[in-house]
Amino acid sequence: MGSKYVLGVSCFYHDASAALLKDEVVVAAAEEERFTRKKHDASFPVNAIKYCLGSQSININDVDYIGFYEKPFLKFERILYQHIDSFPKSYKTFVSALPSWFSEKLRVVKMFKKKLNCKKPILFIEHHLAHAASTFLVSPFKEAAILTVDGVGEWTTTAYGFGKENEINLIKEIKFPHSLGLLYSTITAYLGFSVNNSEYKVMGLSPYGNMDRKTNPYYDKLKQVIDIKQDGSYRLDMSYFVYHYKDRMPSQKLCNLLGGPVEKRGVDMTQRHKDIAAALQMITEEVITKILKHIHSETKMDDLVIAGGVALNSVYNGKILRNTPFEKIWIQPNASDGGTSIGVASYIYHTLLRHKRSYKFDNAYLGPSFSTDEVKSFLDKNSIRYDTFKDEKDLIEKTSSLLFEDKVIGWFQKGMEWGPRALGARSILSNPLNPKMQEILNAKVKHREKFRPFAPVVCAEDAKVYFDCDDPLPEPVDYMLMVYSIKEKWRNKIPSVTHVDGSGRLQTIRRNQNRQYYDLIKAFGKKSGIPILINTSFNIRGEPIVCTPYDAYKCMMGTGIDYLVIDKFIVKRDNNLQHAWDSEKYTND
Amino acid sequence: MVGQKSFGENIGVVVNSALLSVVYFAGVGVTSIVAKIGGKKFLEKDLDESGKSYWSDLSLGKKQIREYYRQF
Ligand SMILES: [Fe+2]
Repeated sequence: MGSKYVLGVSCFYHDASAALLKDEVVVAAAEEERFTRKKHDASFPVNAIKYCLGSQSININDVDYIGFYEKPFLKFERILYQHIDSFPKSYKTFVSALPSWFSEKLRVVKMFKKKLNCKKPILFIEHHLAHAASTFLVSPFKEAAILTVDGVGEWTTTAYGFGKENEINLIKEIKFPHSLGLLYSTITAYLGFSVNNSEYKVMGLSPYGNMDRKTNPYYDKLKQVIDIKQDGSYRLDMSYFVYHYKDRMPSQKLCNLLGGPVEKRGVDMTQRHKDIAAALQMITEEVITKILKHIHSETKMDDLVIAGGVALNSVYNGKILRNTPFEKIWIQPNASDGGTSIGVASYIYHTLLRHKRSYKFDNAYLGPSFSTDEVKSFLDKNSIRYDTFKDEKDLIEKTSSLLFEDKVIGWFQKGMEWGPRALGARSILSNPLNPKMQEILNAKVKHREKFRPFAPVVCAEDAKVYFDCDDPLPEPVDYMLMVYSIKEKWRNKIPSVTHVDGSGRLQTIRRNQNRQYYDLIKAFGKKSGIPILINTSFNIRGEPIVCTPYDAYKCMMGTGIDYLVIDKFIVKRDNNLQHAWDSEKYTND
Repeated sequence: MVGQKSFGENIGVVVNSALLSVVYFAGVGVTSIVAKIGGKKFLEKDLDESGKSYWSDLSLGKKQIREYYRQF
């Protein structure tokens, strides 16, 4: 019997993606934004699907099953109910948002026919089940408690249950309009950041605020908008919100409560903003901690998997094992909606088709990769000046020297990462020991808000030396999903990766995951005394992470990255100034 | 041709908006009013300050594969 192929697809909300299983193994997965170059592209992921199929040299007719990440009619029902509930206040959104339901969101089957000439039936998996499957079915656990928290699926916004072998049961839920994810997004919008994009910035801002419940005035204020029960279940006072009938989120009443109007995009953050972010983070942590303690007492399971947008709250994730009775935790790197394509495919293969589980997710490099010949031909065709490393040792030696000399390196190796973080395949690397490096990186490439430090990468076995991390080291740290404290004595040695509260959002790397990256960090450590690098995503501000050699080269030439190390080649920006341009003139972030 | 096309699109938008407005006031509006008179709630927004829990039962687990071909 030949292999079975199962394709999972998510789209039309945000972060459209596709994932392909060959039997139980995820062999390819990518988000549509990387191909279309539109950040968080939600459109039907025809490019991501084609990439997945091409990676296995098959076509859509070779796929045995196709799954979609929600039940569209149930979601549409919810939308209609929202309008009925809020009539006539929702008139504007009704007229502006409804057409997309008839043109695409309710026509998923037609979309497959039109875009891929595919006449196969599609399986529709409930959204939170897709979230649950995206983490549990590819986790290392045979049994685990499951928590899913996002903005909203069909109706569910928060659910919990458990997984055993190849089955999942979600047993309790909280329904729209009450949503911890949407509360986080509302405050994100209130602070002048973009919703479904910049929630992580609010999380990054929170340590600058007053993290003391008793003295942060916004903590008590924000507590008025949410009623939290002892078991972690909650409801929002909807008079503080308008997202259930408008295309905005906070109501005037919320603005009054927080003492000012919604902030304009890009405004400088004052202590008041920081305190609001801190209050929000404290309340989020309080709710999730209560929920997790409740789930633990209900399921009596010691292992935990989580998914949904809130599972990207790495600041809180790093506290879970300390704050709750759970002993182990696992999160899939693409924990938000993008990751549900893996969820539906795994759910079909394991749960519906009853295949036992033996696969465990441990390779995030599931996107397009390029052979040495492909890279060389790209460089040659475009008359790009480059040098070739003699061998891998030469590559590691020279690149680590450049890093030690404070050069900023675009690092392009292996398949593109799955999920929102760059993990050493499409990364910008630099020296964290230089106290000016945050400034240098911001001036040359990233142009980030000053309050956001960069992230460190360290080899897994060295993590304990520099960070106060859980022991044993949880695997989600490999995907930058857990923030830990940097040990006091190292903080002033690696200032550009140390947050104001002494924490760092580290990535740990194991040699079997990415040998060159691992060896590079070690070689840098030999020169500098500290085997840690700055790892930040390889992209132009406001754009998705680079996918192809063309994207990478264009990014270097449009920013101030000094060198591009791609496959066994090194391209120096200064040798190719005929292609230089200024990406900041075109950015839209 | 381009002008014609965008003119056509504009007309489409106007017709769509008019149709949607009719649907909104006749369909959504009437349902909403009837529902409010009958006391039916379409979104559960009320807080229950004295209650112990807001968790509601969900039994989302494996069903027959044919159930998944449905979009609802
Ligand atoms: Fe979701």
